[in-house]
This record gives sequence, C-alpha cells and structure tokens, in this order.
Amino acid sequence: MTSTREHGRSRLIRLATTAAAGAALLAACTTTGGEDGGGSSASGDVTVAGTYPIESLDPHGAQGASTGTQLAAQEIFSRLVKPAADGTPEGDLATSWKAGKDVTSWTFTLRSGVTFSDGSALDADDVIASFQRMIALNGPNAGNFPGDTMTKVSATEVVLHSPAPDASVPGKLGTFYVLPSGVGKDDTAFFNHPVGSGPFTVDAFTPSQSLVLVPNTKYQGTKPTLSKVTVRNIPELASRMTALRTGEVDVAWGIPDDQLASLKSQQDLTVKTVPSSAEFTMWFNSSIPALKDAKVRRAIWQAVDFGTIVGKLYPDTGKAADAPVTSVVLGHAAQPAVTYDPAAAKAALTAAGFDFSKKLRLQFANDEFKPFVQAVVSDLQKVGVQVEPLEKEQAVFTEDLLALKWDINFQQLATPSYDAASNLGRLYTCAARRMGYCNKQLDGLLAAAGATADKQRRTDLYARASRIIWQDAVGMYPMSVSIAYAWNSDLKGFVPDASGLPDFATVRTGGS
Amino acid sequence: MIRMIVHRLLIGVFVMWGAASLIFLVVRAAPGDPATVLLGPDATRSQLDQLHASLGLDRPLGAQYLSYLGDVCRLDFGESHWLGRPAMGAVLDRLPATIDLTVTATVIAVIVGLTLGMLAGARPGGLLDRVVSACTIALQSFPTFWIGIMLVLVFALTLRLLPSSGVGSPQHLVLPAVTLSFPFVAIIARLTRTSLAETMRESYIQTARSKGLTERQVLFGHALRNSLIPVVTVVGVQVGALVGGAVIVENVFAWPGLGSLVVEAVANRDYTVVQGATLLIAGIVVVLNLMADLLVAQLDPRIRTGAV
Repeated sequence: MTSTREHGRSRLIRLATTAAAGAALLAACTTTGGEDGGGSSASGDVTVAGTYPIESLDPHGAQGASTGTQLAAQEIFSRLVKPAADGTPEGDLATSWKAGKDVTSWTFTLRSGVTFSDGSALDADDVIASFQRMIALNGPNAGNFPGDTMTKVSATEVVLHSPAPDASVPGKLGTFYVLPSGVGKDDTAFFNHPVGSGPFTVDAFTPSQSLVLVPNTKYQGTKPTLSKVTVRNIPELASRMTALRTGEVDVAWGIPDDQLASLKSQQDLTVKTVPSSAEFTMWFNSSIPALKDAKVRRAIWQAVDFGTIVGKLYPDTGKAADAPVTSVVLGHAAQPAVTYDPAAAKAALTAAGFDFSKKLRLQFANDEFKPFVQAVVSDLQKVGVQVEPLEKEQAVFTEDLLALKWDINFQQLATPSYDAASNLGRLYTCAARRMGYCNKQLDGLLAAAGATADKQRRTDLYARASRIIWQDAVGMYPMSVSIAYAWNSDLKGFVPDASGLPDFATVRTGGS
Repeated sequence: MIRMIVHRLLIGVFVMWGAASLIFLVVRAAPGDPATVLLGPDATRSQLDQLHASLGLDRPLGAQYLSYLGDVCRLDFGESHWLGRPAMGAVLDRLPATIDLTVTATVIAVIVGLTLGMLAGARPGGLLDRVVSACTIALQSFPTFWIGIMLVLVFALTLRLLPSSGVGSPQHLVLPAVTLSFPFVAIIARLTRTSLAETMRESYIQTARSKGLTERQVLFGHALRNSLIPVVTVVGVQVGALVGGAVIVENVFAWPGLGSLVVEAVANRDYTVVQGATLLIAGIVVVLNLMADLLVAQLDPRIRTGAV
C-alpha cells in the first residue's frame, strides 16, 4: 500500500516537473512580438491592423475600389489629385487643374521632376497609359469614368474629356493611380514588387495577410521617417482590439462604440473620432403603392426616435444627420430636423390612408447594423407600421437593391469623392432608378450642379436638391458616421483620415 | 491489399467527380451575380455583359459544365477575377498555413486524446474515468470561438506569453492549434475510452490476464491495438473536416487558412476559387481516408486478408 502511494506520489512529482519544464520552455521561447507583430520600436517600425484584407496591389483591377487596395495604393502610387485628411481635394501629381468652359474637359498640369521608385521619370505618357489601363480592365473604378478619355497636351499636361459635363472629376480622380506605362493586365511580377511614385515601396506582400512597406528613397515629397510599416489583416474585431491592447499593433480604426471606453482608459493609447463621408441612409421604395405618397414617407420618418437610438447605440461615432450627405461632402446643406412625434405620425398615416396591415420589407446587409434596424422596427411597430427586417448576404443584397426587391433599404452610404455629384447626382436621378423616386425638378438641379465648376453655385444647387430629397422623404437620414481611431501614443504625426484610409508617410516614432 | 487500394482509389475518383459536379451546381444555384459583386451596384449593363462574357457566364449551363470538367481534368482551375490571379494559386498560397494548423492540432489531439482515453478506458467507472468523461464533455460543449477568445485573454492579454493573432513564428501557432484541437481531443478521448473499455471486456483479455501478464502488458500488448481501429477511422475523417472547417479559429486568430478563403470566395461569388478549394479539400479528404483505411488494415489483419 505504501509503495503504491509512494509510486503515485513520484508520478505526480514527475508530472508536475514536466509541466513546469514545459511552461518554462514556452515562456522562454515566446515573446509577444513575432516576426510580423510587435508594435512601434526605436527603429521606427509601425504595425497597423487593417480593417479589410489587401487582396491585390493593382489599383486598376477588380479590387481597385476595395478599402484594402486603396489603403496600399495611396502609399505606393501617386494620383493626379487626392483628398486631404478632411476630404478637400489637393494636388498630388497635379500642381493645378482647370475645367473647360462646358466642364466636359479638365486640364491637369503635372509636377515636374517626379520619378518612380526605380528612378525612371514620370510624365504624361504614364498618366495616360494608366488611365487607359484602368478603363480597359473594366474594374469598379472604371465605372466612375464612363466614356471618358485622356489626351496628352505636353509632357507635363494632360486633358480628361467627358462625354457630358462633369464637375466632380477632381473628386473622382482620388481613386485613379498612376503606374509606369507598359504594365500588363495581369502583371503578377510587377504587383509583387510594384514600382510607384508614392512615399513607400513594397518590401513584402502576402495577399490577404500582410503588406510590408519601406520608404521610397526617390519620393518627390518629404520622405517618410518610419523604417517600416506593416499592415496586418486581422478580420475579427476582438482580435484587433486585443492586438492593440497588447501592443502587437500600433494603429487600428473602425472601432465600435462599445470598445472605445476601455481603449480610452488605456494610458498608452490615443483615441479619436473623425467625421466621415458615410451616412446611415434608409431609402423608401417610392415605386410601391404603400410608399408612393411623400406624406406617408415623412410620417414613417417622424415615427422613429432616431435621436434616442443613435444616442444609445452610437454615442461616440454617431451624430444626427442634417442632410442627405454629411458635412464633409461638397454640396452639404443643413436641413430642418425631423422631430420625433409618434402621435402626429400615426395621425398622418391614417389621414393618408396607409394600409397598416401591409408588412414592409426592410433589407440590410451587415450583422453589425442589426441592433439599429431592430430599434427602428420596434419604434415603427409602436405606431402600427409592421416591418420585417431582412438581413441579406452582400451579393444578394446588391442584386435585390438594384431590382428594387425591398420596401425600405438600409445602407451605410459613403461619398468617397467628397462630392455630392457621386452621391446625390448619381443615385437620385430618375434614370438611376435606385429607389423608385423620380422628380424632374430634382433631375434638373442635379444636372445643373454637375455641369458647373463654380463651387458656390454647385453648393447652392445641391442645397436646393437636398431640400427636395429631405422634404419628400426619399429616404430617412438618421445618422452621420464618424470613424474611431486608436493608436499608440508613441506615434507622432498620425492624422485620422475621414475615409478610413490613413496615410503613414508623415508618421514618426520616438526612434524614427 | 492491392485490390483494396485500387478499389478505394476508384471510389476516390468517383467522389472527386461528385464533389466537382456538386460544387459547380451549388455555387451557381446560390442567388447573387458575380459580376455585380465584382463591379458594384454602379456598373452599367454593358460593363456587366462584358464581365459575364469574360467569366463565361453568358453560355448555357451545360456548356459551362463541360468546359469546367475538361479544365479540371487538365488541372486548370481558371482565373479568379476577384483576386486577379489563378484560382488554384490563391488556394495553394493558403495551404501551408492550413497544413501547419491542422497537423499541429491533430498531433495535440491525438497525443492528449489517446492518453486521456487510455487513462479512462483502462479502469471504466473509476475516478479517473469520471473526471476524464466530465472534462471531455465540457471540451466538446464549449464553442470554439469562446475557447479561442478565453485562451487569448489569458495567454496573450493577461500573461503576455503568446501573440494574440497572426503568423510568422512557432509561437503564433500555439493558441490557434490548441483551440482547434480541443473538440478533437474530446472526440478521440471519448472514442478511445469506449473502445478500450469494450476491448478490456473481451475474452482474450481475460486469457491474457490469466496467463499472468501485467495490466500494462495486457493494455499495450493486446487491448490498445484493437481499440485503435475505430479511433484511426474517426481521426481520418476529422482531419479532413479540419482542413476546410477551421474558419472560426482562422478568423479569431487571423490565421490565413483555406477555410476563411472559401468563406470569402463564397461571399464574393468567386466561383473559380470556391471550386478549386473544394476540390483540393475533397482530394485531401480522399487521400486521408485512404491512409486511414490502410492503417486500419495494418492494425486488423482480417481487413488486410479480406476476411471481413
């Protein structure tokens, strides 16, 4: 008996020793800063948690409009015009730009002396070849320039011609990147180590996993002081937040409100929100009998307590919207607030002969919006309006959106060009058929606004267009979205970007 | 034995054809147009038509199917228009990470699961058996994402012993592999325990004991080998499931494996990648099952000789 007990004890001791040795070995061979993680260091390395994967570095291809490719492209390549951090257009390769008399042409004067990262000169031929490549590849960015062509005036001057007046060209060119001429359609070798004229060059790229950038020594502007920027794809929000807290990454953004309080309490992190061009937009399908009457649409809007919903769900990143586009977009004009009044809403619906037995289909595409949509459905239920929330997969959502297979459509709608032309001018015309709403007067205003380069006149025209959209309740516009950023306080010069595309060229660390 | 291998290989070919045909039909039956997903809602009709033609989606389904089967036979899985590169290239890029994760999780699961199962099955009804059974039920019951997040909280956030996500070093592999192995440990442990307990009641075990062999000799010399037959079969099936089914673990730990690629491809209606990845996974499952069958035949001479 004694020997069995002693045997058991010795086994227990052996087991404990093995476990302790294992733990020690684990501790000895582990550090939280792996090869691709580790946060900022004295050497000026910065690790970024990308919100979306970078699948491709080709800004003209199928991925050209994706956030991941845009984030990479703006660091590797140059554009004629780019949006500043607050959204206003500023010259990148172009030193100046001017619209032709009828706004069907735009002339861009190029900066001289610009070179690509391989030392070759960048000139008008590269700009034109890049534009032609973008159009030929027929990717999503090509859709911004239907029928447009580009011609060369001189080595430092190009002209973009549009088939119809288009005042929003400078804003839309924010997604057009210049590559050296001669890059083929599927030039994998080029895009593994692309040659660009942006502040960084590619050190290593693993699609959908990581992108390592190092400074471009031939960059025309102020050269980056960071020695390395690593963009890591961390799809899961909880994992991104953990990596930020442990210091494995230095910057993250797109942070939801419920995470902000704990991040703010962490001393070594700086947290900031910036207004973006995105707005919660809930279109009504005006082509169906139940929602044809503007009085009905306005009453439904009035029946939802958006102030409370936004305040509760998005205390930091939400603000009551006051126009169909946000305040950072050219053409924004504040409209009178729609007051929550369920009794008046119910009376207006009854007076308009609204059929309370009809169930309206509210479609949306992203799980993160479910609480918001459910709150709206709940408020509408209180006045007797029955709404069925339908969460759809993105591919199905887009198809149904275009086919008008919905009664109320929820989207977080951004205006990446920061110009109302690519939101109001594109989506609210009769020809667009986006929400079954057609108003000839609105069409006229939007066409006029797109046909003049006079900023003040455009703003006035969009203000009148916005008033019609708002008063006719083409949709409900509950919230302007701010983007929340958190970054390691050791980083200096980091500017949160309104598009969710921060630039790391001006960022520096203690050691860089 | 050779006859058995040939037979299994023929079945494998049939399975591959079935998988290829099924996935071809399923991805096309799903609502959502790949061209609309690719070009976005602002694409014009002519842009969409152009892309449909370029993707070959403007042809009749039968013609698409025949050319797809012909391409698959030539190991040409087509171009992913979403990713802008060959579909199989994108799939194979993800394979090493998947193999790393799956093999490590399997090794952990087999070692821990077999050990626990043996400890429990050697003395059914004993204290150790009850403890192991309770633990394995718990392991199987906890959702994988919860286990992953808990491990991250303890080992990455609190103790700062391991990285919370990503790839790049062996340390990065520890948490995802352990998370992925947990339910697998439970399955192997429970199966080993049940199988071993049954074997220990067999008459030949009584005979071995009556010959004066120690319990250790009985266990390792006679009981374990026969108990492993169902375990080997289940491990073969489960490893196959892990290859493409580790999506949640891949997401939690930002692990760039095949599972997350397939999910992204399905969401983007990237037919070529879905087809390529599915066929690769089907191929791996077929090979693993064949290996499991061979191993079982090695363990059980009756199967080798065709007696059963």
